Amino acid sequence: MNSNFLKGTLEKHSRLICLTIIASIFTFNSSASAEQTWRTVEQLSAEDKELFDPTISVARDPQIPYLPAEKFPFSAPYTAEEMGYRSASAAHIARWSHSMADVFGVITSSGYLNQGEWACFIDNKTSGGMLGHMYDQPAGEELGRWMLYETFPPENDGAQQLWIPKRSDMETPQKLDFFYYSPSMRRVRRMPEPRRDQRFPNNAQSLDDVMGRDPWEFEWELLGTDVIHESMRFPKTRQSVTVNDAERGFTEVQVSDIKMMGSEFPHYRPDGGVDTWVLKATAKKDWLPDYNEDHLIVWVEKKTFFILRREKYGKDGRLMLVETRMAKHENPSMGDEGYASFMSLYWNVDHDLLSYSFHDNHKVREWSEEQKTTIFTAEFMPREWLFEPMKSQLRVQSPDEFFLRPHRYLGRFPKHRSTSISPEIEARYKLQEAAQTLVFEKE
Amino acid sequence: MNSALRYLVITTACLFAFAQNGLAGTFSNLTSKFDRSLATFDPIGKHIRAPIEKAIPRLKFSGSLKQSSDMLLEKKGNGGGLAEKDFRFLQLQNLLEVETSYFIDHGLDINATAHVLYDGAYGWQGGTQLNADESNRNNEIYNNSERVLREFYLSYRKPKFDLKLGKQQVAWGKMDGQFIDIVNSMDRRESAQLESEDYEYRRLPTWMANATYYFQKTTIQALYIIDFEHDRNAAPGSPWGDTNLPVTTHNIDLGTSRPKASTFRDHQYGLRIDRSAGGLTYGVVYMYAWDKNPVERVTGRATYLDGGIQKYSLKLKSRHERVHHIGATADYATTIQNVPWIGNLPTVLRVEALYTNGVRVTDSDKRAAALSGASTDGTSKRDTLRAAVAIEFALPARTTFIFQGSWYQTLNHKEGLGPALGGGIGDEWSLIPLVHVSRPFAFSKDRMKLEVTAFPLISGSDTGWGGIKTKVRLRYQFSQFINGEFRYTGYDSGDSGDYYGHFNKYDNVGWELNYEF
Repeated sequence: MNSNFLKGTLEKHSRLICLTIIASIFTFNSSASAEQTWRTVEQLSAEDKELFDPTISVARDPQIPYLPAEKFPFSAPYTAEEMGYRSASAAHIARWSHSMADVFGVITSSGYLNQGEWACFIDNKTSGGMLGHMYDQPAGEELGRWMLYETFPPENDGAQQLWIPKRSDMETPQKLDFFYYSPSMRRVRRMPEPRRDQRFPNNAQSLDDVMGRDPWEFEWELLGTDVIHESMRFPKTRQSVTVNDAERGFTEVQVSDIKMMGSEFPHYRPDGGVDTWVLKATAKKDWLPDYNEDHLIVWVEKKTFFILRREKYGKDGRLMLVETRMAKHENPSMGDEGYASFMSLYWNVDHDLLSYSFHDNHKVREWSEEQKTTIFTAEFMPREWLFEPMKSQLRVQSPDEFFLRPHRYLGRFPKHRSTSISPEIEARYKLQEAAQTLVFEKE
Repeated sequence: MNSALRYLVITTACLFAFAQNGLAGTFSNLTSKFDRSLATFDPIGKHIRAPIEKAIPRLKFSGSLKQSSDMLLEKKGNGGGLAEKDFRFLQLQNLLEVETSYFIDHGLDINATAHVLYDGAYGWQGGTQLNADESNRNNEIYNNSERVLREFYLSYRKPKFDLKLGKQQVAWGKMDGQFIDIVNSMDRRESAQLESEDYEYRRLPTWMANATYYFQKTTIQALYIIDFEHDRNAAPGSPWGDTNLPVTTHNIDLGTSRPKASTFRDHQYGLRIDRSAGGLTYGVVYMYAWDKNPVERVTGRATYLDGGIQKYSLKLKSRHERVHHIGATADYATTIQNVPWIGNLPTVLRVEALYTNGVRVTDSDKRAAALSGASTDGTSKRDTLRAAVAIEFALPARTTFIFQGSWYQTLNHKEGLGPALGGGIGDEWSLIPLVHVSRPFAFSKDRMKLEVTAFPLISGSDTGWGGIKTKVRLRYQFSQFINGEFRYTGYDSGDSGDYYGHFNKYDNVGWELNYEF
């Protein structure tokens, strides 16, 4: 071949060649990511089959018949129900006494950003974990006390909330006793508990998202397994964050170094992925009459049962919300149950509303009797006493730094999942994927 | 449809249309850019608060800037007063609040709150009817240290004990309206339009010692109040000033005597005990206090000539009277199951009551007797009772519904008694069955919230229907630092002598912009 011809052709078509190379790379990558990571129950590996017990009806607890007879945390092989119970252990607020800074925010499709920062003091009144939650208290009794002190935005500085979670059952459905102190009113008001299935105003989270769902209120079914390579996604505009580590203080961390189950988790796949069970939880009509959520699909890490992703579906089968989470092993004394939610993102698909929540500066606590009887009371709130400041630098500084909408996992478990969204949001989503930052209305 | 309602419907429709179209239609790109630029707009926070707190790490600095305006929908005067008002704005208030807290040592802080208020209603409108700023500059602008330095106290805290010494305000009670909220006096310049959420800015802080002990499930609070502030009612010549005041009288006003901080026996005392037991919290209060409004007492007679005929008039000295307040408060939370169409319904019940012993009231029979030469001070003593029961429901779609029945009663009432602290409003008893509904709108991503409150007034045994006040608010969250509100307040029906009926021509719309830093 004539070298001049080759040179000329290369020069003439250099742009086209570059684009072809880039397209090939993308094609290669997308085909790599398109490799099927999920398996249905029928396709389970031999190893997974050994861990799964397909029995639907198991012996019940003689005292509390809606619970399984086998005691938590159960032993392999696990039924789908037992997996559901194990997954309920990792609620948004960890089921042990601790303190933390909860930094959270919401962004609308227009870019309206609203954030909050609370110092949270959690006194767990049970022996801890899901076992304590299930058995330690009779229905109607307190499970703990959460004192939440608001420090941001300035309008809410000094406002406080006292949450008293209660053990509930079918006859005693109240899940929360709730007090609110408003510094502008200087009054503590007992409030009705927020409706469990409704998102909070100006937020994508619902009360059940925060308090956790009791697994006995749902029917559980195993859909299969999957591998998750990424849960929450930072935009390209936010390369690092400053976390307040309980031991090291403020520490700048590259977002690429933040792993889904924390840096010390021993079960990452070689490619960094995490093996998960995929469960379907359908709300029991007799337990949850008129509940907005028809069913949930959850991706739980295989060893710890930590929920890494949850999808909510309405009664009409539409996708309502996608939640993605990242964990940290905050309480090693509790073994596999010691993983707590470090970051979570909630995407309300109906309104294209995104909420995030960071749990920073997590410290396992053992509160003294004096602290229990003074701090965790409604009477403490008018004192406007933030007795232990909980600082954080995790707030988003501008709308462009907000987290990306989560992966949609198109094509996975198609018999059980509806992934369709409105064309408008779909278009915005595609632009976001190309830009790797959030894309807002008509941008 | 009356003009007020028409204004409201048109304005609300415009706002809705703007919100819907603005967010989802042609202007969405503009609003999106606006939202994103406003997300980080916090100039005072960035350029004043942050540098100050950085330079003085022990100092916490915060505050707000609020602009509130209310505009009358018509200028007509009401039945008993002005034929035509020569002003339109009821307020054009600009309020800067600065709060500071200096950490001295663990558990020891010094706190100060300053207010700078300017109301343009006096200076920015022509006319002569608004002249209350001439008799008292505080109606237009806070110009003395008493108003500017709003709170200033030392706070000492231990886990089981709190002590606050200095100028402060204490809010008792949790209902809409004042029932056991009796500690501080109030600046009632907005008269019938003073709302519960305004109390924070309108209470008049006083110098006191405020100690609280915390036991396991019991809290005991003791107040020793040195200072006394009386209620400041809407002054004649202010937008809400009583236009029915008599212009002239032959009675001789000898002024008002008020309790003195320097006199030990004039000091006030309060005690509050609260306790919680499961879903129930309850408490009792007692206060040995002063009636915050003075009562005219006859001290003697004077004579004057009327057409050459000698007539008598009264010498009147106003003074505040001692009263004993005994109150109770309780609330209970539950979830009602299987309510049709709703499912489980979270519910809270609240109760508050205050019994006041020894309320001095003017008595027209005795004043007539005094005029005839009888030995009487022209007043009587009565006990009063005010109580409220409220029930609050958390309905679907983030809707809150509150019903509160408020009851005011003057015990042993008789014709000719004047207004009594805590008693019926111009009658033996009064009932305000308040209804409140609020909900955010999903199309606005919950940034817009509508609140509707109705305050109907029924009094007996003579008056009957006393008019209704209706408040409609449309709140909007512009950013995490700025919020705004558009509101309509209407006063309908009732006679000119009734509490709400009196303001029949005071229907108004208002707006508020609030920046917190």
